[in-house]
Amino acid sequence: MDAWVRFSAQSQARERLCRAAQYACSLLGHALQKHGASPELQKQIRQLEGHLSLGRKLLRLGNSADALESAKRAVHLSDVVLRFCITVSHLNRALYFACDNVLWAGKAGLAPLVDQEKWAQRSFRYYLFSLIMNLSRDAYEIRLLMEQESSACGRRPKGSAGGTLGGGEAGGTAWVSAPGGSLPHLALQLRLRVLLLTRVLQGHPPLLLDVVKNTCDLFIPLDKLGLWRCGPGVVGFCGLVSSILSILTLLCPWLRLKP
Amino acid sequence: MDAFTRFTNQTQGRDRLFRAIQYTCMLLRYLLEPKADREKVVMKLKKLESSVSTGRKWFRLGNVVHAVQATQQSILVSDLVPRFCLTIANLNRVIYFVCDTILWVRSVGLISDINKEKWRKLAARHYYYSLLLNIIRDVYEISLQMEQVAQEKAKREKSMPQNHLGPCVADEETEWLQSFLLLLFRSLRKHPPLLLDTVKNLCDILNPLDQLAIYKSNSGIIGLGGLLSSLIGMITVAYPQMKLRT
Repeated sequence: MDAWVRFSAQSQARERLCRAAQYACSLLGHALQKHGASPELQKQIRQLEGHLSLGRKLLRLGNSADALESAKRAVHLSDVVLRFCITVSHLNRALYFACDNVLWAGKAGLAPLVDQEKWAQRSFRYYLFSLIMNLSRDAYEIRLLMEQESSACGRRPKGSAGGTLGGGEAGGTAWVSAPGGSLPHLALQLRLRVLLLTRVLQGHPPLLLDVVKNTCDLFIPLDKLGLWRCGPGVVGFCGLVSSILSILTLLCPWLRLKP
Repeated sequence: MDAFTRFTNQTQGRDRLFRAIQYTCMLLRYLLEPKADREKVVMKLKKLESSVSTGRKWFRLGNVVHAVQATQQSILVSDLVPRFCLTIANLNRVIYFVCDTILWVRSVGLISDINKEKWRKLAARHYYYSLLLNIIRDVYEISLQMEQVAQEKAKREKSMPQNHLGPCVADEETEWLQSFLLLLFRSLRKHPPLLLDTVKNLCDILNPLDQLAIYKSNSGIIGLGGLLSSLIGMITVAYPQMKLRT
């Protein structure tokens, strides 16, 4: 009970719970439609989803300031690539929240002349840019870690590295410079790189969580902007997974990717 | 901006801010309604008020657990009168939040055959009881403080004997009232959290008094009371030392 009180005292936690519920409703609605459930139940689920969406917009009022504050802090990072990616991502998030506030004002009846479609498209576009920046940052971090891992494996003596993986990797780095571009050689290189990637991600759960979360989130604006229509079921499932992962990072702060 | 971010990161901070906005709209509507050419503004204020009020329900979901935890903590209070008052007040808050959740289920459309009026009256009644008990506890604490201040004053006067000769112009009753008010003012000034809590509860009780038709006021007074209590709530969130400790 104490854990719930502490968790729900953060406004972001409540917003994430509402997001998880909203995408669960979306997924449930899609499943019910496919299996031919009663139209009344479908209408109820759609109504609940609509209420959750509007409620979340209110809960998010003021998040622009939070995103700008994070962007201000990210400007002081030492690494250039990280500094660029994270700052631009936060700025795009701030713009996304600003568009979202305009949409709320339109839905709440304060600004009835707001073109809902136009502003919705705008907000999804900023959201997409922010996710692309996040994924670029993740890719950069993964590349750095993979380089670190492979150089660490190369420095270790060939005999002491346990199992075929260590020996194979140490051998792999030696084989990179080998002449010839034959297909089995390339397949082996690819396999080694995939193994290295798995190892890096296994060793860094926050990075893995962030990659999965951003990848799942990517489907939502891609679908809404019409770039890659995946259907409401996939959008609902991906949204639910990414919301659960972000709730996890709120419950366990060590799982959050720093900075 | 950093302080604003830290404030809005707490659910209660955000909720109090939205509550302040809601009651400001209510107050502004009351002030602008009689004016002839302000219909559009009044309509917009009404829409803002209702959407903020609906949205705030999301902040209250799950507060039943908060109230149960508060009840558990209030059972452990050492002094008998606050222990009794706070425990019963928190139990009433639990029932209020249960009614509020049922009203939310109805408003979202999950279960349609719920008697909204009945549950709304029940929620208002238990909210009223909890505020009443909080006020009784505040009055008890104020009386303790006043006793303490009076004792200190008596001790100081004993150590410094003075001549109180002089014509007693005022009536005896008004003199008693004056010294009582002075004592009240002094005790509240020494204990700001108690003053804030008392004012907040008194402002809050106007709304259920109106809803239960015990003391009908107008939306202007309720709006002003709600705004004041929300501002006090925001102060206690921003400065936790201003919160009245049990």
